[in-house]
Amino acid sequence: MNIGLFLSEGDGEISKTVDVKALAAQFSERMPVSVLDSLQNAASHRAIIRQVEDRNLDAVVLAGESPLFYKKTRNGERLLSMLNAAGINPNRLAITNIHEQVALPHRSTPEEATKKAKVLIDVSIEKVLLSKLVDLIEVSPRRSVTVIGTTAAGLFAAQRLLERNFDVDFLDREEVRALNGFRNQTQPTLAAIKNHPKAKFHVSKISDFYGYAGNYRINLEDGKKLRAGGIIVAIGDDLKMTDELYPFLRLERNEKGLFKTLSADTAVTETVQQGIFLIPETPTIAAAISLADSAAMSCDSMLSQNAIRHELFVSEVDEEVCGGCGTCIKTCIFHAAEIDPVKKLSSTNIKRCVGCGNCVSACPTGARDQISGSTAYYLSAIRILSTYKPPSGPRLLYVVCEGCGYPSLDFAGNSGIEYPTGVMPLAVRCAGRLDTQFILEAFKQGFSGVVICKCKDDHCLNIVGNTDLDRRANLFRSVLSSRGISPDRLRIFGVSDCDGASCVTSAVDFMKFLTNMGRA
Amino acid sequence: MAKLKVATGLLQGCFGCHMALLDLHEDLIPLLVALDIVRSPINDVKEVPEVDLGILDGSVCNTENEALAKEFRKKSKKILALGTCATLGGINGLRNLYDLDAVLKRSYVKNESTVEGTVPSSPVIPRLLPHVKALHQVIDVDYALPGCPPTPGMIATALMDIINNREMKIASKNLCHECTRTHEQMYIPRREFVTDSVTSIMELDEINEDKCFLEQGILCMGPATREGCEARCVKGNTPCRGCMGPGPDALEQGAKMINSLASVLPAGGLMFMEDVVGVGYRYSLPVSIYPHREEK
Repeated sequence: MNIGLFLSEGDGEISKTVDVKALAAQFSERMPVSVLDSLQNAASHRAIIRQVEDRNLDAVVLAGESPLFYKKTRNGERLLSMLNAAGINPNRLAITNIHEQVALPHRSTPEEATKKAKVLIDVSIEKVLLSKLVDLIEVSPRRSVTVIGTTAAGLFAAQRLLERNFDVDFLDREEVRALNGFRNQTQPTLAAIKNHPKAKFHVSKISDFYGYAGNYRINLEDGKKLRAGGIIVAIGDDLKMTDELYPFLRLERNEKGLFKTLSADTAVTETVQQGIFLIPETPTIAAAISLADSAAMSCDSMLSQNAIRHELFVSEVDEEVCGGCGTCIKTCIFHAAEIDPVKKLSSTNIKRCVGCGNCVSACPTGARDQISGSTAYYLSAIRILSTYKPPSGPRLLYVVCEGCGYPSLDFAGNSGIEYPTGVMPLAVRCAGRLDTQFILEAFKQGFSGVVICKCKDDHCLNIVGNTDLDRRANLFRSVLSSRGISPDRLRIFGVSDCDGASCVTSAVDFMKFLTNMGRA
Repeated sequence: MAKLKVATGLLQGCFGCHMALLDLHEDLIPLLVALDIVRSPINDVKEVPEVDLGILDGSVCNTENEALAKEFRKKSKKILALGTCATLGGINGLRNLYDLDAVLKRSYVKNESTVEGTVPSSPVIPRLLPHVKALHQVIDVDYALPGCPPTPGMIATALMDIINNREMKIASKNLCHECTRTHEQMYIPRREFVTDSVTSIMELDEINEDKCFLEQGILCMGPATREGCEARCVKGNTPCRGCMGPGPDALEQGAKMINSLASVLPAGGLMFMEDVVGVGYRYSLPVSIYPHREEK
């Protein structure tokens, strides 16, 4: 495999701490390396693509800003799609976070930060080396939108979509809740929508939900089946309805438990789910209307594409090994694991699978594996991470879930909190993906302790990943004791999104605890 | 065709795998046309001659086992690890959950039937190794056949493969594939435990002969265990104990079973009713990721 490594100086932010030049020199013996002043500007993006083409690269490792940056900004999204177009499979791209998780939190120990950065880049290289190519599918978007919540904002968004010739289905517990609030302001819009031939109102609840952005299937408790290209959620501060929708829509939630958008200032209506837009609660009707316009606009531009590409990051089954025990069927809350009772063989329904990896952990034979993060990769990553030896203090395997743990650790870096270099981060898709075998491997590799930083209750994007981890870990503690490993050396805690401070405090407290135990 | 010269030997084991070979009865005859067993505990030859195939049964627990295993490797062109002890460390391996000192004291000093006991120290008695090991952890192994013991049929098939220089195939799916019990809950895609409670098999007066053990609240190792044993135990209305060891894609049996049970049976009941560690690692502790108690 021809891997290219791109190191970012982070406009001086990274190179202030991490010796990027030295890293480049070390890695250049093994692969083409480029040092760029940043991975965020247009010129560097062009430089990356040029390298990919000139050097005929088939895998790329970007070491710089957090991978979340690529998911949450237009700029990052653009780079990813350019790389895709240049022939880099999504699984052949790994992003090492040497900014938020190395340079910022280890400012006062530059030498150690550089050593740690090297190990983290090694993990990314291993990731692309062990990856399987992920399949892509293209969905032709349906020109229909389901608006959940007949609030004023929902009605205004729908009005815009109807003007643009979309079919609109309204779904709510009551016919039109907007009339409870801004009656005078919404009455005319409501009248217009009520008479529109392309608008329909449904008073029911969701009983089943699956599909992709561009083509969702929504089954209702009253038996009706809706199909939608996009979904706009406009339920205001209705916490009860948020609780009902959360297992289906899988959106991030804020401290109050309400759904939240990707960003409060730059991505005001986009959510973690590509095809679902959110109009958050607003104090004034003017703000509601502008957010409604934004949501309708985003939805329109998504559904006006010829095709929407989806990466099939699903769970796959080794048919030579699966014996049809049914554990995955009992584990998957999305009903994506299916079984042929005669052949005794399980399979994955790719329309339903969200790729969380909960079934992979649960599978007692190891027949199931995750395309985006195979068991072989995680084990290898744990071994590589264990090669970093901090100058003093314990060494922690700090497992962070991509939902809440990872952003929190990033946030800690961004807020200027420093912590010891012995905290070795390992990102997993979801806490539910954490196979207890990994914990044993970590202790075997000599980590002083293992921390699993997951989403707190009712915040897991995969609904049950965090609680399934607890179930497994509780049973597993007896295995640790049986090997003479104190179960206290495994710590699991839940954070809400961007809770950097508590994320670090818990790690530092745990390190003190381990030091007192004599585990430094 | 020249006969294949074979030597068999017993390490730390119960002799069960040798018995299983003898259990072939008249089916041994066609095998003996192609095999010449020149050394075996059965014919009581002590020295290990040069052979084409060395078959070892049992795990490596003491210095004598270690020496015999190395002697076999030196004298044999190919080595077959026969049975679970040789392949996975077997039930002897559970000793690895304790320090060697504690094991010796428990047996010879703090034993209920011992008065003023001492740990034997005669130079003619082989010393226990600090940890029990599977054969491949001590010498290179060419073929491995798990099973406690492997069925006579499995042994015959394996030997025929070796004689004919074919790749020795062992089953790769889990026991559920071979098990014929019916499911009411396991295949229903609903997030619910398959039973409300966990029951110890000792406490049951009657066990349903046709229904999945897990659905009856009985801990069965089948899901985390390789098939190939003809599901003898489950056919005899006894839950699988896991003697065939983990499947080829699992790293180890105990942790995998725990991952799986957490989705299937209520954890509280499991912790209360069962020795989860003992059950999960009954046969495969020496080949698990963390194969023994942490060194002090």
